[in-house]
Amino acid sequence: MKTISIIAACTGLFMLAACGTGASDGNDTAAGAGEVNLYTARHYDSDQALYDRFTAETGIRINLIEGRPDELIARIRSEGERSPADLFLAADAGALWRAQQAGLFQPVQSEALNAAIPANLREPGGHWTGFMRRARIVAYDSQRVQPEEVDSYEKLASPRFRGKVCVRSSDSVYNLSLLGALIEAWGEERAEQWARGIVANMARPPEGGDRDQIRAVAAGVCEVAITNSYYYIRMANGDDAGDREITQRVRLAFPSLDGQGAHVNISGGGVLARAPNRDNAVRLLEFFASADSQRHISANNNEFPASPGVAAPEPVAAHADFTAHPMSVAAFAARQPQAQSIMSRVGWR
Amino acid sequence: MVWAALSGETADIAARDIARYAATSAVLALLVGTITAILGSIAAWLVVMHRFPGRDLFAWALALPLAAPAFALAYAYGDLFDVAGDLRMWMRPALGFDLPFEMRTLSGAAFVLSCAFYPYVYLAMRAAFLNQSVTALEAARTLGCTQRRAFVRAAMPLARPALAAGVALAVMETLADYGAVQFLAVQTLTTGVVRAWSVYASTASAAQLALPLLGAAVLLMWIERAARRGRAYESAGSKWRPLPVTPLPAAKAALACLFCFSLLFFGLLLPCGWLLWSSLAVSPDWIRLADAAGHSVSLALAGAVVTVALATALALGAARLPLAARLVSLGYATPGAVMAIGLLAPAAIIWRMTPGASGFAVGIGLLVYAYAARLMAAALEPVDAGLSKVTVRMAWASRTLGRGPAATAWKVQLPVARGTLLTAGLVVFIDVLKELPATLILRPFNFDTLAVIASNYALDERLPQAGWPSLLIVFLALPAVVWLSRKIAMSRPGTA
Repeated sequence: MKTISIIAACTGLFMLAACGTGASDGNDTAAGAGEVNLYTARHYDSDQALYDRFTAETGIRINLIEGRPDELIARIRSEGERSPADLFLAADAGALWRAQQAGLFQPVQSEALNAAIPANLREPGGHWTGFMRRARIVAYDSQRVQPEEVDSYEKLASPRFRGKVCVRSSDSVYNLSLLGALIEAWGEERAEQWARGIVANMARPPEGGDRDQIRAVAAGVCEVAITNSYYYIRMANGDDAGDREITQRVRLAFPSLDGQGAHVNISGGGVLARAPNRDNAVRLLEFFASADSQRHISANNNEFPASPGVAAPEPVAAHADFTAHPMSVAAFAARQPQAQSIMSRVGWR
Repeated sequence: MVWAALSGETADIAARDIARYAATSAVLALLVGTITAILGSIAAWLVVMHRFPGRDLFAWALALPLAAPAFALAYAYGDLFDVAGDLRMWMRPALGFDLPFEMRTLSGAAFVLSCAFYPYVYLAMRAAFLNQSVTALEAARTLGCTQRRAFVRAAMPLARPALAAGVALAVMETLADYGAVQFLAVQTLTTGVVRAWSVYASTASAAQLALPLLGAAVLLMWIERAARRGRAYESAGSKWRPLPVTPLPAAKAALACLFCFSLLFFGLLLPCGWLLWSSLAVSPDWIRLADAAGHSVSLALAGAVVTVALATALALGAARLPLAARLVSLGYATPGAVMAIGLLAPAAIIWRMTPGASGFAVGIGLLVYAYAARLMAAALEPVDAGLSKVTVRMAWASRTLGRGPAATAWKVQLPVARGTLLTAGLVVFIDVLKELPATLILRPFNFDTLAVIASNYALDERLPQAGWPSLLIVFLALPAVVWLSRKIAMSRPGTA
């Protein structure tokens, strides 16, 4: 009994402490002075350094909740009118589009954003905007595949690669966005044919993440893998000697969609419709889109800067010289549900 | 949730996919249930009824894998046995052959989850064997049964309720798991729920997919209850003499020792060792981890106290409201991802009522409530068992002496059951340390737990970084598991 009383007492104290902190937190939020509440589906250690710099430069404190994109969206919806959320960030255009569909964003007209970010990487109504780019491209076995064999997305679905393709499951939002872009470019029927071709070409049922696909190429399981650019760049320059060795043999190719360039997705964000600290939220979004921040994120997380005027730092620079398809990110984002249905039809797990 | 299933737009998920998800879930649950039942029972029987080198160590150490979250085991095994992982890349040229299995398959997932969940069966069975009556065993032996036949014919049938309880826990954990199966690329009903809910933004479809899972939970609880119905007869002839312990001859002793060691090896030593080895390459942000560890432990303590208090209240009131007690246990088998969605509805009401929604106190309160909802079954089980030791006669004696129902509960029932209350508290404490989905979606600002950090790293495909927080969870949960395990060892009346 004694032990239980001790635990009970500890818990009581803890709850009291919790309430105490809670009260002061509540007041701060209500006052709205010098704070911004950030709900982010990006969770990279290097982002913390950016938050610290923002606070140092502006005096605005960042309150943070990290989570999976759709759970954050659901949470903001549940919080309703009293939601403290100011800014929502995600690493996929589809999630931002869904948040917009749910009526969560307000349009933002910002000179700084318009000047820094190309129009096709922003939602046309100003509801959300990208600030980093990630290309969904191909890692190939340089000993068995010629670069010109993987210079278009169509070729990946051709009989040349029967049983030679590694790719993640259709749970991956990046695959959904890629197929969404193909639907936007080709129409649903041709995109479905392509997906059918990919399924026929799979070397194994989809498993693992993008890194696992690249490693599988090195292990000889497949000859080509569909992957996001930054995973490869991170492996080529990371701590793991084995991974660095892999990228000697496995190379990166930027397939082209209709000869117009590679499919590019974004990391981006939007200001919430009921943001209690709206101005701070806009400021933080502009801060992410600033040249310095883009360089910082690129150097640490290996995404490509969104601004054409911002040169990618090493090690990204070595891979930054590619043509990106000019398609609007909002266009393929809206096609994700369609893409999921196609993948389900053609048996892309 | 039922309401949600019947309303709103449904997503375009092919019936074929749903059938496939459901079949996968069923097969996985069946495999894990069978494997844990066999491994857990044999281990418990060996440890309780035999003498062999290391028995005293294994007796409590076999429960240790309970400290390791299933997702950590999945990270470790997925990485260690990856086709393109270091091990197999080295094996193929060096040894000239490849391993004949894949971790990222249904059978691989069944292996990983069985490693993670066999302690549930082991603990339940060990408690049952420790508390079994010598009379039945002696009768079996007198009637000419060998030790092994006595196990099959007498001990196992008598321990049936415990087996059902242990397996039910293991299977419910399997159905509720998301992190591990997702990492191992096995698509279960939970995958469908998440897909419907996220990509199609259709809560209705998500809820429809979740209903079979709830149905499975109801079925499991019914089976467990049905199996327990015989218990009243069994304890009638208990005699608390020491159990007859058989010393094993050398060869058999070695086998027993090897069996127990391999459970411990695959359940804890190998995966945690591998995580540690791959994590050594990175130096973690210790301050952030220490912070998160503080949050994890505080939440686990608060969750344990609140859940056990509620479970006790429920168990005391269960005589009058049997249905309520069954209903609240459903949370345990509800897949984490579904639970997270379901929790948002009550959370929404609270958020909308309080100024500065998602304030710290509200967030913590919601989390503790979520843990109670999710882990009620795990707490109710031992609490119920403990309170049932207070016979109706004892309670009536107290009432005759002038105590009201509340005073009877406080002065008679709770003191008798205090050991099991502590057991329940430990179980909840360990589970909250490992809990992920509810914590992810409900926690307040700037408040990470170890499980959250591990999951974020894993999502970003940074496994070495995910290793440190995972190992810290194991480290923090170990003392609680040891305590729990030792409590059960001393549970045989007359041994303390």
